[in-house]
Amino acid sequence: MAKAVVMPKAGISVESCIIGKWRKKAGDAVGTGEVLFDYETDKATFECESTADGTLLEIFFEDGEEVPCLTAVCAVGQPGEDVSGLRPNASQEAPLPEQGGTASPAPQGLDAAEKPPLRNTGDTGGAGVSPRARDLAERLRVNPENAVPTGPRGRVIAQDIQTLAESLKTGTGIGGREFGTPAAAPKPASAPGTGGERSYTDEKFTKIRSSISAAMHRSLSESAQLTHHHSCDATAVLAYRKECKAAESLGVGAISLNDMVMYAVARTLKEHPTLNAHMINGDTLRLFHGVHLGMAVDTPRGLIVPTIFDADQKSLKELADTARELAGMAKSGSISPDLLQGGTFTVSNLGSLGVEIFTPIINPPQVAILGVCGITTRVREGVNGVEAYPALGLSLTYDHRAVDGAPASRFVQALCRNLEQFPLLLAL
Amino acid sequence: MERFDLIVLGGGPAGYLAAERATAGGLNTALFEKRALGGVCLNEGCIPTKTLLHSAKLYDHALHGKAYGVTAENVAINHAAVVERKEKVVKTLVSGVRGKMKACGVTVIEASAAVKGKTGGGFIVEADGTGYEADRLLVATGSQPVVPPIPGVKEGMEAGFVVTNREILDLKSIPQRLTVIGGGVIGLEMASYFSTAGSRVTVIEMLDKIAGPTDLEISLLLKKEMEKKGVEFRLGCRVTGIAAPRVEYEMGGETGSVEADMVLLSIGRSPVTSGLGLETIGIYTERGAVVTDGNLRTNVPNVYAAGDVNGKSMLAHTGYREAEVAVNHMLGRRDHMRYDAVPSVIYTVPEVASVGETEQSAGEKGLAFKAVKISMRHSGRFVTENDGADGLCKLLVEQGSNRLLGVHLIGGYASEIIYGAAMMIESHWPVEDLRELVFPHPTVSEIIREALFAY
Repeated sequence: MAKAVVMPKAGISVESCIIGKWRKKAGDAVGTGEVLFDYETDKATFECESTADGTLLEIFFEDGEEVPCLTAVCAVGQPGEDVSGLRPNASQEAPLPEQGGTASPAPQGLDAAEKPPLRNTGDTGGAGVSPRARDLAERLRVNPENAVPTGPRGRVIAQDIQTLAESLKTGTGIGGREFGTPAAAPKPASAPGTGGERSYTDEKFTKIRSSISAAMHRSLSESAQLTHHHSCDATAVLAYRKECKAAESLGVGAISLNDMVMYAVARTLKEHPTLNAHMINGDTLRLFHGVHLGMAVDTPRGLIVPTIFDADQKSLKELADTARELAGMAKSGSISPDLLQGGTFTVSNLGSLGVEIFTPIINPPQVAILGVCGITTRVREGVNGVEAYPALGLSLTYDHRAVDGAPASRFVQALCRNLEQFPLLLAL
Repeated sequence: MERFDLIVLGGGPAGYLAAERATAGGLNTALFEKRALGGVCLNEGCIPTKTLLHSAKLYDHALHGKAYGVTAENVAINHAAVVERKEKVVKTLVSGVRGKMKACGVTVIEASAAVKGKTGGGFIVEADGTGYEADRLLVATGSQPVVPPIPGVKEGMEAGFVVTNREILDLKSIPQRLTVIGGGVIGLEMASYFSTAGSRVTVIEMLDKIAGPTDLEISLLLKKEMEKKGVEFRLGCRVTGIAAPRVEYEMGGETGSVEADMVLLSIGRSPVTSGLGLETIGIYTERGAVVTDGNLRTNVPNVYAAGDVNGKSMLAHTGYREAEVAVNHMLGRRDHMRYDAVPSVIYTVPEVASVGETEQSAGEKGLAFKAVKISMRHSGRFVTENDGADGLCKLLVEQGSNRLLGVHLIGGYASEIIYGAAMMIESHWPVEDLRELVFPHPTVSEIIREALFAY
């Protein structure tokens, strides 16, 4: 006659256990003592051994189901034997333990101190959370609803709670705690890929990344921007920089190519005011009287654009000193927000990273941005035949809603002329 | 060229601890030290000064035990013997560091090193004409005493009349009259030792308070206690010139001078960033200190700077923690450097220990706080061991969260209590929760519990 194998009573106070994974399937031969399935209480995981020899005839509860202790879980016998009398009468889902708090009296015979705290297993959906996972979540103070389940039938098991707790260590407080906003809800976590998935790590956007993301998208979607690419002969600026480097004692040794370009831009914009402007309300061009240059700086936190106020009033050295100071503050994360606004035109230099041509994105409500590219060697027809010269790439993006192509190109032409005669520009 | 995963420049606390953690994390590490392993801390700073101060404390206790029923005759302090012991302690600890480096498998190169540049293969460091390559660099070159451009200082130093902490710790005898320029931690500790050991000490300080950013009330108490022991303070005085045996200063328009047999220059320390070739890789420095972020990264990827060289908090224990954060970042492990609960201690008698914000710094940051201040005489043990003396415990509690922002102590054992205060601040636990802690009785540490309940 077929025999039932029951869910073991794992402890005096254990009411039910959850089946982890079946190791055998219906039709398999089983012997006494062979492991049939794993099961979990709120304290530990166990293995259930068969209490009969024969063939596993029928499984009454599947992976992940909660089964009251001493209830028949499966039938073992000879193929063909009747198992209907062994099937448990109760419904497939295990009855939930009584809900309630400490107010309910302890049942007779049980030491009140041993009774585990009553648990609410009325989960809203899916296969829920295992008692062990719930216990761990309480101890670690995380919300099990935010855990990514990897247990059978989508159940959240203890390991998932561990993973969730680790992933919440994103703060800079002790042990990775977040002390910034008290009573902030735990952020949902993404577990690294398990099983057969390719592994990855999710990094939530920092505040700075989110704001750059929004600004860039807005700029492109709300404007009519396009880019012109020019280049100028960099001979004069390179020679001038060499002179500056040689005059270290005058404090000009650190003047860079970008400083010189920014100087030239500031001076050239005075002659081309429509590019030193903001587009306001979709119908007005605000022409600024001074040039306040935004300078794009790459920092460990992301792109930061401090403003060099009154760039057109500064000497080359003053501009260079200001630029260096702002870049340093931006990189060390100690820049005042006042210095991150108020720009009328922006310069973004990617020359040192090997960029030859690019399409910088305008910083609204400005109407233009100049991308400074690297210096490449080009050739041209000279009086004595083909000659090589250093060419500095300049990419100007402008908003066609506010400025037309010809005036934009004229600005860059003038800028190129000024750069090609840099020492003369300094005289003006 | 020998290749490493990490090259550490400097074998002081930040450097050698970084090397230890890095090798434990699997990084093949080389450490360059041009002078002595252990850096200033082990050789010319923390350790030697504490050795001297302990001898002074024993001498002081022996001389003044009468109130406690203890008298002793022919009590003497033999400075040469004190210094000899100091050398022994230093030697032991330095060889301890050397042994540790060897055990960890760190390649230690005792030579002056400089960065030569960066190639596709990594950073190039040169020492004694040999080149070394590494994927990562940790700059841990520490700091040096500031030597001000005051007339006569340079000549005084050449003549041995003016010394810094390095030379004064090697003196074989006590100067009869010692003038200390700079009333910060180093100046006060040396003033404390030499005055107990028998010198007539005068401390000249430019500001109108001693002990730097220490809480004002505590600095006043410290000054009073040190004056009781015979140290003379001249505050608000700016040194204008040195011409042995005189130190000249000006104070609010008036001039003054003090005569000395030796002058200790302790006006501060500045990071060592020049002559290291840092500019060849474009390391950004500000006011002579390497600029670093919360992970001790510099502006150059894969280059870090920990310890005094970044000027953030020039204490050995900050260097230790910064070294660990930097190495954790290299190894891809979560970590972050916080400076809001770094304790600082002045090992004078009485000891001063503080952690977190002072009333002044909290005010400057616009933090809403309430200060709780109680006398150390609320601690039974303090009363037992400090006949007739007083001390102070001050807590700063943030309004709203009720968590601790700062803790300041003056009184014996303060140095050993302050770590607990640091933990209270880091935990962000409110006063209500901290009150649930059980303190041992009788201890001086109970003063913190008293203060928590006085809030």
